[in-house]
Amino acid sequence: MKRKITTILLLGLPLVNFAQNTCATAQPITAGTYTVATINGSGVPMVCTQDGISGTAGEWYTYTPTDDYSVTVTTALPGTGGTDTRFHVYTGTCGALTCVAGDDDGGGNLMSMATFNVTNGTTYLIAFDNRWTANGFDFQLTEGPVVPVITPPVTFTAQNITGDGGMYQIAVADMNGDFLDDIVSVSYSSVRINYQLSGGGFNAQEIPTSTADYTPDWSMAIGDIDKNGFNDMLYGSGNGVTFMKANATGTGYTEASGPQFVFSQRSNFVDINNDGHLDAFVCHDISPNVYYLNDGLGNLQFHQGGLGDYPDGGNYGSLWTDIDNDGDVDLFIAKCRGGGSNAKIDELHRNDGNGNFTDISVASNMADPQQSWSAAWNDYDNDGWMDALVGASSPDDGMHRLKRNNGDGTFSDVTAGSGWDANTSLNIEHVSYDFDNDGFTDVMGGGNKIMFNNGNMTFSPANYGFSEGSIGDLNNDGFLDIRTGTTVHFNNGNNNNWIKIHLQGIASNYNGIGARVEIYGDWGKQIRDVRSGDGFGYMNTLNVHFGIGQATEIDSLIIKWPSGQIDNVPNPTINEPITIVEGSGPLSLLSFDDKKIVVHPVPATDELNIDNIELLDVKTLRIYSQTGEVVSSFDKGMSKVAISQLPKGRYFLVIETLAGEKYSESFIRF
Amino acid sequence: MPESADKSVSVNLENVPYQKLSDYRFFIGAMKNQVPNTQVIPYAPASSLFTDYAKKKRFLWIPWGQKASYVSDDQILDLPVGSALIKTFYYDHVEPANVTKIIETRVMIRKATGWIFANYIWNEEQTEAYLSLNGTNVPLSWKQNGQDMSTTYRIPSETECLTCHKLNNAPVPIGIKPQNMNWNYPYSNGAMNQLEKLIALNKLNDNVPSNIVSTVDYRDESQSIDMRFRSYVDINCAHCHSEERHCSYRPVRLAFNENALAVNMGLCVEPEELINSSQAYIIKPSDKNRSMMYYRMNSTLPSERMPLLGRTLVHREGLQLLEDWINWKTTCE
Repeated sequence: MKRKITTILLLGLPLVNFAQNTCATAQPITAGTYTVATINGSGVPMVCTQDGISGTAGEWYTYTPTDDYSVTVTTALPGTGGTDTRFHVYTGTCGALTCVAGDDDGGGNLMSMATFNVTNGTTYLIAFDNRWTANGFDFQLTEGPVVPVITPPVTFTAQNITGDGGMYQIAVADMNGDFLDDIVSVSYSSVRINYQLSGGGFNAQEIPTSTADYTPDWSMAIGDIDKNGFNDMLYGSGNGVTFMKANATGTGYTEASGPQFVFSQRSNFVDINNDGHLDAFVCHDISPNVYYLNDGLGNLQFHQGGLGDYPDGGNYGSLWTDIDNDGDVDLFIAKCRGGGSNAKIDELHRNDGNGNFTDISVASNMADPQQSWSAAWNDYDNDGWMDALVGASSPDDGMHRLKRNNGDGTFSDVTAGSGWDANTSLNIEHVSYDFDNDGFTDVMGGGNKIMFNNGNMTFSPANYGFSEGSIGDLNNDGFLDIRTGTTVHFNNGNNNNWIKIHLQGIASNYNGIGARVEIYGDWGKQIRDVRSGDGFGYMNTLNVHFGIGQATEIDSLIIKWPSGQIDNVPNPTINEPITIVEGSGPLSLLSFDDKKIVVHPVPATDELNIDNIELLDVKTLRIYSQTGEVVSSFDKGMSKVAISQLPKGRYFLVIETLAGEKYSESFIRF
Repeated sequence: MPESADKSVSVNLENVPYQKLSDYRFFIGAMKNQVPNTQVIPYAPASSLFTDYAKKKRFLWIPWGQKASYVSDDQILDLPVGSALIKTFYYDHVEPANVTKIIETRVMIRKATGWIFANYIWNEEQTEAYLSLNGTNVPLSWKQNGQDMSTTYRIPSETECLTCHKLNNAPVPIGIKPQNMNWNYPYSNGAMNQLEKLIALNKLNDNVPSNIVSTVDYRDESQSIDMRFRSYVDINCAHCHSEERHCSYRPVRLAFNENALAVNMGLCVEPEELINSSQAYIIKPSDKNRSMMYYRMNSTLPSERMPLLGRTLVHREGLQLLEDWINWKTTCE
């Protein structure tokens, strides 16, 4: 309840007022100071602060400015007496409110304060809730001149995904072979997948699995270990590792777990021995790292030793990337450990091919003792060499370190003046993506902010109301979104251009993990490595994403596959995804006098139609299975190909011309 | 006088760890009764570590004619080479037969080169326990004060043992500190202060001060909330949250000789690693809902729970003690 004592307003003391306690009967207020005796009105329908849990009761006020203002609402007042407050600010009508602002602890000492711009004549609803306590407090609303909002490079809009839910909400990746990122939530004996629909939105499916021996308490990785066209999952637990393998239609999953004790931290799928089949790597917290080599049939054999053998571990954030541009991925391990133990010293292992690795931690200047759980790797200055932001999780042995790749197997510490030296936010997660599509990769770490790359090896923070999560493009608009729990923070984008690349390996692993992707244009060069497992715990998209800023053309796109195959696509179309099958140009890119070769229907059951095939001088037309086996072969072009005899699944159509050019398209036999 | 050679305790440093627990002859009679052999001395710390409600029996073996030494109140007794610490983990009222079941006996042995771990897993017949340092999981259901309980009990591997039992990477015992031993243990021939008992048995040099700053039994409601909670976090948390330990890079310092200081306990200290924005402080006075320590002690998720190892269940009594302490603290001091 509230009491109103108007007389003391004149003395400049708090106004205690009598507002009624629901949204519909909110107490009108103007600038001034007010006392809430206790929170006992109706609760808030929507939380406008980071912690999404609603209180059970609220106190409601309505405020309609008579001019445009910058308004500050604060409870950080002597009269609050340290009460732990929280408030939400809405526009709209009581049945359909929209969050404008809100705050929990921004006033210091758990009190609240938020500043936001308001528009003359618009009605704002301000509601305090009892999330922490129903105790009374004072609050103040002040009006000031409108402050221009410094626009961050991109903004995000939060949306709750109905139909999402599960114990472990830590993955975003394509699960049904359409290259659209899906939302994956894991429980003991099921996986909930929100399949992204091509027209937008999601189709939620709860898929029973055999019961997992181990659950992804510490990390998850996703990749196709048996080349059946449907991604498999790795659950990294504190006691062991479970592989959850997709069946031939991606509609069911079966677990496989070894008996070995593994205190998992970061996990990755990666082709460690470069035999064309994905292996798995798991950081061990308290022992030498473990890895699982693929026998080529999707069976994974446990190994320990050779890839970070410090006796009592300290391995937290493994990341596979090609640091020396020799065509194979090297292993960096962000490490952490208390006491005088050297388990905290980061490691870099150079891949010398054929499964041989050399520890170059010291020689490369990456052997730092900093307490790090993850490092974000990308080419931050677009010079063609992968750089590292090694993130601090504790200040004990130094803060964040930005390391520039010198291109000669060594790294230089360029933290000073980079913006990272001024960033005191600690975190276990640090990942790098281009969130604003400006052509320079950014880093998300601690403090609910993205450190945007200024393009010159310096970074500037932009604050957001949410922490790190799984990253992918969940509305297929070319701007990366961030999933936290059952919420997706959709990137509102900007007018920058982009390209996304979907890879399908044949000789290489199916996902093209470990491939180096390069694009060339007016900006020079940009590079990415395809990774399964970056940051500390989350699984992020397997699709390759580039922003290209205001550039409108990409001169060439080059894929350097783990197999050694190099594919070059001149002038790929921007602002749309492109699918590259290893060893061939995309059929869909071919155009003769505005006529395109089109493969349909999608999916196909009896017959595959290839429109305008006569535009090519066909030497051979072949259909490959997911595993690279030729299942149909013709020595001429055909506009209709029977496929009813093929088992259901994903296939590649590969056409070779008399001139020796190869073009391909994948299709689904359903 | 030693008993005849073939019946006395055997800790041959050339050959340990033995393959069978019985090889040490720590116990006489049926081994499952855990009746200690001559000069195998039962002991207990004032407060004990929570490990999914397992019950424990602890014993100390010091070689014939040798003595331990007092170092300081808060450091483990300096035990002579050849000493062994023996700790048996068991449950009463184990289903379906409502029996006592011994799960494992953990032994630490001091060699000239330092301490080693030897873990023995008991057979179903409860007649023998076999060396295993690989760790394993044991599904278990039992009745606790009449209530049905179950867990997958974790027998630790050697590396898990080391995670808690180490000082700068060297294996060390945890509990056998003067501060934890300075209370009357109910020996079979009468209660006596454990340190005095060791001196009387010629197993401890008589240089122990009389004013040991000591922990209490956290269950002892006649003690202050502060002493009970400080004793609890010492034995449950300080093996990682101290200098030179596994998690020294986090700000709290929870050993008994350090945790009287509010900032060491995390009072009004912001956590470095957020789970969500609710936990604004490691401990917020009078507010468990804004306290990270409460959240973590109340969690069973392996990536969130504290302690990280040694439990899968919430220790309700420990959590209540934390809540009482949080409510007792009304300021940041």
